[in-house]
Amino acid sequence: MLRDMFKKTYTIIDTKRVSGEKPEEKGGDASPTVPAGLWRKCNKCGKPIYVEDVRNNYYICPKCGGYFRVHAYRRIEITADEGTFEEWDKEMPVSNPLNFPGYEKKLAAAREKTKLDEAIVIGKCSIGDYPAVLGVCDARFLMSSMGHNVGEKITRAIERATKEKLPVILFACSGGARMQEGMVSLMQMAKTAAALKRHHEAGQLFISVLTDPTTGGVTASFAMLGDIILAEPGALIGFAGPRVIEQTIGQKLPEGFQRSEFLLEHGFVDKIVKREEMKETLALFLKLHAKRPESVFQAGWEPERVQETEDESGINTSGADDGVSKDGAAARRNVRRTKIFSAGAVLRSAWDSVLLSRKSDRPVASDYISALFDDFVELHGDRYYKDDSAVVGGIASFHGIPVTVIGQEKGRSTKENIRRNFGMPSPDGYRKALRLMKQAEAFGRPVICFVDTPGAFCGIEAEERGQGEAIARNLFEMSSLKVPVLSIVIGEGGSGGALAMAVANEVWMMENAIYSVLSPEGFASILWKDSKRADEAAKVMKVTAAELKELGIIERVIPENAPASPETLPDIADVMDGAIEEFLKTWGPMSGEELASKRYDRFRSF
Amino acid sequence: MFQKILIANRGEIAVRIIRACREMGIKTVAVYSEADRDALHTLLADEAICIGPAPSADSYLDMERILSACVAMKADAIHPGFGFLSENARFAELCEKCSIRFIGPSAAVISKMGNKSEARRTMIEAGVPVVPGSKEPVFTVAEGLETAKQVGFPVMIKASSGGGGKGMRVSYSEEDFEANFQSAQMESIKGFSDNTMYIERFVEQPRHIEFQILADSFGNVVHLGERDCSIQRRHQKVLEESPSVAISDELRKRMGETAVRAARAVGYENAGTIEFLLDKNKNFYFMEMNTRIQVEHPVTEEVTDLDLVKEQIRIAAGEPLSFSQEDVKISGHAIECRINAENPERNFMPCPGVITDVHLPGGRGVRVDTAVYSNYRIPPNYDSMILKLIVHDKDRPSAIAKMRSALGELIIEGIDTNLDFQYEIINDEDFEAGNVDTDFIPTHFPGYVK
Repeated sequence: MLRDMFKKTYTIIDTKRVSGEKPEEKGGDASPTVPAGLWRKCNKCGKPIYVEDVRNNYYICPKCGGYFRVHAYRRIEITADEGTFEEWDKEMPVSNPLNFPGYEKKLAAAREKTKLDEAIVIGKCSIGDYPAVLGVCDARFLMSSMGHNVGEKITRAIERATKEKLPVILFACSGGARMQEGMVSLMQMAKTAAALKRHHEAGQLFISVLTDPTTGGVTASFAMLGDIILAEPGALIGFAGPRVIEQTIGQKLPEGFQRSEFLLEHGFVDKIVKREEMKETLALFLKLHAKRPESVFQAGWEPERVQETEDESGINTSGADDGVSKDGAAARRNVRRTKIFSAGAVLRSAWDSVLLSRKSDRPVASDYISALFDDFVELHGDRYYKDDSAVVGGIASFHGIPVTVIGQEKGRSTKENIRRNFGMPSPDGYRKALRLMKQAEAFGRPVICFVDTPGAFCGIEAEERGQGEAIARNLFEMSSLKVPVLSIVIGEGGSGGALAMAVANEVWMMENAIYSVLSPEGFASILWKDSKRADEAAKVMKVTAAELKELGIIERVIPENAPASPETLPDIADVMDGAIEEFLKTWGPMSGEELASKRYDRFRSF
Repeated sequence: MFQKILIANRGEIAVRIIRACREMGIKTVAVYSEADRDALHTLLADEAICIGPAPSADSYLDMERILSACVAMKADAIHPGFGFLSENARFAELCEKCSIRFIGPSAAVISKMGNKSEARRTMIEAGVPVVPGSKEPVFTVAEGLETAKQVGFPVMIKASSGGGGKGMRVSYSEEDFEANFQSAQMESIKGFSDNTMYIERFVEQPRHIEFQILADSFGNVVHLGERDCSIQRRHQKVLEESPSVAISDELRKRMGETAVRAARAVGYENAGTIEFLLDKNKNFYFMEMNTRIQVEHPVTEEVTDLDLVKEQIRIAAGEPLSFSQEDVKISGHAIECRINAENPERNFMPCPGVITDVHLPGGRGVRVDTAVYSNYRIPPNYDSMILKLIVHDKDRPSAIAKMRSALGELIIEGIDTNLDFQYEIINDEDFEAGNVDTDFIPTHFPGYVK
């Protein structure tokens, strides 16, 4: 209605400028312009972004959260402690083994563009005050493909790290092998893998960090050989590139295929770490691997105790609030209680124990883990097929000693139970557990298992992937692990599914836990063709902690004055804490051979 | 002087700025969102450029689009108005990088005054009185409670990044401290991703008194007297006046000099406002500095006979102030009522829609700043303030009488407004007597603040 109705004529008044004076001409550089490089378009969301914002935000788009590739030196800047990076093998001679036409020109252009001699920067630094060898691929240099120089730098760095007893961290990012170097490039895969094998056998840590993109020969060599494999969110990780796969199979690939999250789900990545949390995560892993536990035990272990906090004085009888928090747990462990627990103070029938062991509010493995340990980092995947949510495991510290903790995990709600498969592990879960135990063995860490399963999962896929083989393999391998192994049955110890995590130096049970060859229902239905007689079966099967202690199947009963629940967990954890300390003091100083042989004798006696 | 100014705002303030430019012979560029095609500022400006869809984040808050528009339209300065990007240091900085004059203070000053803890520290250093409270930020209930005990209850719990009442709570005792602290901090974390909190003495029955200052690039700083903005609902100003009945000439001189000192301390340039709390014993404390033109600037314009927006433009163009402190004379009394498209009966719920009919009051000493017209559709995406009614007369009683008459003559049909609520305030006995503090609305109109 008002469009084009306003008169737009002006009289110049009321300013210092005299009417009629020519408006002053401004210099070219003062006229409004957007300087080049002030903004860039995000290649993920397409929105303009201010370059400085990206730089200050770990090279993550502030609008869509997409990750940009990071130049090697910037990556080192945000990863290493300031001023600690000392570069190795900065200068490398040009290598053109095939005399490939035009390659040297290409290399010269890449060197000019990146100011790097090759596609990876290697050196020594400290991260959170822990020393490490750090290598970072730079995608600007011929897509960080691996030719002789890249393979050589990595191999030299690993060899030197092995010699100097330093952990290695490599940030992988690569298109794969460098085509211009032909078979010489392929050999780098074997060369780097071989160096890592020696590093591993020397008991040294290698952490591989997969960033976008990690493909081809790099994925099929050093990148996938980490003791711990981390990945940035959303990174493309795969052997064959998605375009090649699509062309080969003639199908469109699903959303999220070959991304970090896909690899986590399929068991090939331990943990996805956001870029802004990468440094502290790496520092934590370095801390947990800084000293080998056996050296601590042999020197006489004094359990580290955190300083008692002011308001946490003496006995907290309610214990309801602080029991779940990690700090609370640590503070409470400081104050060793003098309460006397008498096992079996209340007489319960075997069937009562069966029901209690299955009760929905009974604490699950992760409750014990957070109540007993500090710095727990969960690690995922079996490195074959899947990450099984029915088993949780990772590295934690127990009064200053790094330990590997593994638990069969039930859910606390129906929804969580579905995700956790009601605590019934698949073969992938057992393989994850075994992988973590072998990892613990490599670094001399004691293994503590929490057993709580109705049984190994019965299902088509479980049989397809070899449920029986997976259980058997665990019995086989666990029998000779060269580190102390402790298993605690905290709820249901269902048959072979439980035993696959209980070939230990000592096996303990909670007072109301059960450990049986079969569920009482199953027992009654096989023997008496009537599953309703389960309570009777429970009585004759001898499944309770007290009975099994008597039979010599287990070493210790952890008393439950009141049945385990979120309220009583702090008290129970307190007792368990003392008992674990005792266990580690007994078994920790023993040699690997001795530990394995005692474990052999333990099971040989049955 | 600038050839062309881009107005990075909408509504009545954009219209207000365009008018000043028209009068100064400066061409104007309006930016508008898709919802504002028919807005008055779009129609009144010489040129208009659409900068995106209705949500502010995609249009009036999108720095890249506004700067690109400015470059494309060859405007040499941007006036940010109030709200939106007006106190965004990053925006001011980007303007500078793009060789565009930002009409307002420098990015450094905006950033300094935008951070409450830094502002407070600067003011303490400059000898400006501040409300007793924590000098250092607190992050936990325990720290907060410790500080609260030192400062003395009742205390105000404030988020460092907060504003407009967000992230603010009053705690009267140790018992209600934890709950209030946590809800204020949660609001701040959700709203501003910042858990930095401050504890300070809660000044009881305070008046909100603010001083308008002008500073040029030659180091001249003057104040233009005070505005009394005590009539507030949930920390949102409802009615403002100048001068304040609570301020004597002597106190005005003292507070004005303090405001000037505060502005000098930060190296301020352009128009700004220093907000003070004035307690019942006439002690005043610095609250914050607003580094932009304010909604209520017309009451100062009426009593000083100065055009603040024109002054802003002249200062930004590098001209010196044409008057000194002695030349500033406060004459008569001015009152402003903010008219919002909202329903006071339904907890002041915003009420956008089509204005079917509008009649504006007029006559001597009556001023209407608005962007509405007959058949204008108020979009639901923006602030609900649609009109400012300002009156000026020889003294306060005359001004109140004039406001009463003008409010009675203002007709806005088709939508709900707070007009009747304003009418009730202006007719309140305590208001007439000048007995107001920031709790005036909750205590006098409890029915409206559920």
